[in-house]
Amino acid sequence: MTMTLPSPAKSVAKRDGDAARDRSTWLIDRAPFLIACGMLAVLVAIYGTLREGVFTFEELNLDTAAAMTLLLAATGQTIVLLRGGIDLSIGGMISLGTVLAATQFGGSPLQVAFAALMIALLGFAIGVCNGLLISVLRLQPFLVTLATWSILSGTALMILPTDGGQLPDFWMAFGNASLLGVSSSVGLLVLLILFWVWFRGTRLGIEIRATGSNQRSAELSGVSILRINLLTYGLSGLFAALAALYLTTQTGTGSPTIGKDYILPSVAAAVIGGISLFGGRGGMIGTIVGAFILTIIGNLVFVLSVSSYWQPVVSGVILLIAVLASSLAEKSARRSLS
Amino acid sequence: MELIEAVGISKRYGGIVALSRADFRADAGEVHALLGENGAGKSTFIQILAGIIRPNGGTLHLAGRAYQPANARAAEAAGIAAVFQELSLVPDLTVAENIWFRREPLSPIGTVRKRREREATLALFDRYRIPAPAPTREVRRLTLAERQIVEIAKALSRDPSVIILDEATSALPPRETEWLLQLSQDLAAEGKLVIYISHRLAEIRQIAQRVTIFRNGATVATHDTAAVDDETIIADMLGRRMDRLYPPRIATATDRTALKLRGLSVGDRLADIDLDLKEGEVMGVAGLQGHGQRELFQALFGVSRSRGAIEVWGKPVAIRSPRDALVGRDGIALVPEDRRSHGLLLSKSVRENLTLSVVPRFTRFGFLSRSRERALVDEQLRTLQIKAGTPDQLAGTLSGGNQQKVIFGKMLLTQSRILLLYDPTRGIDVGTKGEIFRLMRDLAAKGYAILFYSSDLPEIVNVADRVAVLRNGKLAAILSGDDISEHRILREAMVEARAA
Repeated sequence: MTMTLPSPAKSVAKRDGDAARDRSTWLIDRAPFLIACGMLAVLVAIYGTLREGVFTFEELNLDTAAAMTLLLAATGQTIVLLRGGIDLSIGGMISLGTVLAATQFGGSPLQVAFAALMIALLGFAIGVCNGLLISVLRLQPFLVTLATWSILSGTALMILPTDGGQLPDFWMAFGNASLLGVSSSVGLLVLLILFWVWFRGTRLGIEIRATGSNQRSAELSGVSILRINLLTYGLSGLFAALAALYLTTQTGTGSPTIGKDYILPSVAAAVIGGISLFGGRGGMIGTIVGAFILTIIGNLVFVLSVSSYWQPVVSGVILLIAVLASSLAEKSARRSLS
Repeated sequence: MELIEAVGISKRYGGIVALSRADFRADAGEVHALLGENGAGKSTFIQILAGIIRPNGGTLHLAGRAYQPANARAAEAAGIAAVFQELSLVPDLTVAENIWFRREPLSPIGTVRKRREREATLALFDRYRIPAPAPTREVRRLTLAERQIVEIAKALSRDPSVIILDEATSALPPRETEWLLQLSQDLAAEGKLVIYISHRLAEIRQIAQRVTIFRNGATVATHDTAAVDDETIIADMLGRRMDRLYPPRIATATDRTALKLRGLSVGDRLADIDLDLKEGEVMGVAGLQGHGQRELFQALFGVSRSRGAIEVWGKPVAIRSPRDALVGRDGIALVPEDRRSHGLLLSKSVRENLTLSVVPRFTRFGFLSRSRERALVDEQLRTLQIKAGTPDQLAGTLSGGNQQKVIFGKMLLTQSRILLLYDPTRGIDVGTKGEIFRLMRDLAAKGYAILFYSSDLPEIVNVADRVAVLRNGKLAAILSGDDISEHRILREAMVEARAA
């Protein structure tokens, strides 16, 4: 029997076919993300016709400040979702973070910096505990983080039963500071994007995606699932703590119940931006788009001066569209393969 | 001294012996084929070589030194790379990311140097002339054959001295198969050892210098491929077996056709099956693993989408879901492959398991009639001789054989007279096996029509009236009477059908 090699003409034709297929799968894979971008564009356009001065730096600064707490919370959530998990405890961590900031921050900048660092580390440590419970006891992430959410919320209420506490003026000034017309929130957004571009390219970033995609394969290739769980939930807790710290620069108070407002929106922002709840697929840029969609909906409801209860209704509809889009894209991809 | 020397390797899983005394010697610079029936212990043996499982006994030497890999990575470090049938790729990573997973070239800030990774991938493809998909494609978008090739590329990227190919050509189309056969020979010529597992005798003859044959967890023989004929190889694979297990086979088939298939196809796994199952007949379905048996059963039970025509008791039907297949006296009932997860609710009682699918048979005006349920359950416990303390004992606490009987009871209560039995005796003790075979013959005598697959070939040979042999998803032959022998079935299933 002789070896038959593909003739050159044939392989060129094959390569062209591959390229066309690559382009179409590229589109299908990113369909949820592209649809999210489209929806954001439409919402911004509507917003722009309803109000003057939407397309200014000032508006960008304001909207970014409004979205930043959610963005930080959703960054952690994105990392956990990519691993194929979910973190509900961020709600408790955000409440606890604001309460601790409002009660433990002293007057001097050094004390404040120390306390802020401690709160961030506490967030990481609590996340690591979540990861430990999930790995070692082999419990469902949903239930473990639901339980820790409850524990953290109760703790926050014990420390500060009602909204209040004190934050130094310079701390709140940070939230409103700007440099050459660019606010601190936009600066943070740029940092967040840079962080993500770096993080997704690291070996850890790839291992997280691989574990979310197929845990068994990742494990066979030598990935330690325990380490991945500790780090993903740890990072989620850390980002929740950062979200809490940022929130206090905006509100100026500690609030023991505010965290619950960020749990489901953090998941929604990620899913609207194209992250699969089954793990492995999607990225932070989509989550940013998703978070801005949710924020602009809030603005629209305000500008239209309709009842604020419309905000969750519209958010829900957008979420449904996003989920439908990704499911349709997946089905069409499967059909084109078989 | 040979490169790999394995002597008396054994492996037990609880009471089940997967390997009893496997010996294997292979040298650098050869393609060494490993042959054996399904369940002969080949997979267990190569998993031991690849460090995935650890043996209970025996000695293993690699290049003269004791070799006891603690895990798969230790085996890789020792220069052994295995390509398994159960693929180990991550679906959401690209081809290049999968090949270099955890060995990526990194930049000073710890990020993966994607371009260098891509170039290394292309260089690898080039070096071995791998007909692989573009490095940037995501693995979940690849066909089974493309994934298999990426898996082989991943193994080659470690530059191993021993490469194990487990049925690697079973997923490959002809052109890629040619490539792999050539590659195996080239690697051997470079001084590497290729351990090649395949059921395709022609491939083995083409590339392997020696062939080692396993049977029932033990090594039977090692032959020079050039000096041995096919008959000897097949005889070594089969051995001699006792047959007291089986009830006498009395033909009870009538002229009535219970199940008629015309042009039945499932995806690209099963093509154009024409089959007539008669009332009172036990028809065996045989073939090498993965040649369409599972797809056939799934299609008939409505789990897989199929094309083609199906007639049940003379009436054309469309089976789109298990509900379509199950209904009533004219229905089809299935004993599924995995009884613990598909057939039984382990945390429910025997009684509930038996009656789950047939609740309407003892309800009146929407209310359960406990006495009718009890009567039905008692009848099944008696006829099947299910050894349960009470009908309320949890199904999960029964032995494997009794669990399987509960599934039979559940199936019989549906009153369907066409039965699909997919490997009903797997993991069951010999005594219960005999009971199940007798039950099958009794049911056939009562006019049931039975389609029967077993991973254990002798069971098909000794129980079935006729045997449909599948090869590459097509019907290779229907054997009856004296033509039914393991030898004949294996030949029909293995005779090379590789497209020229």
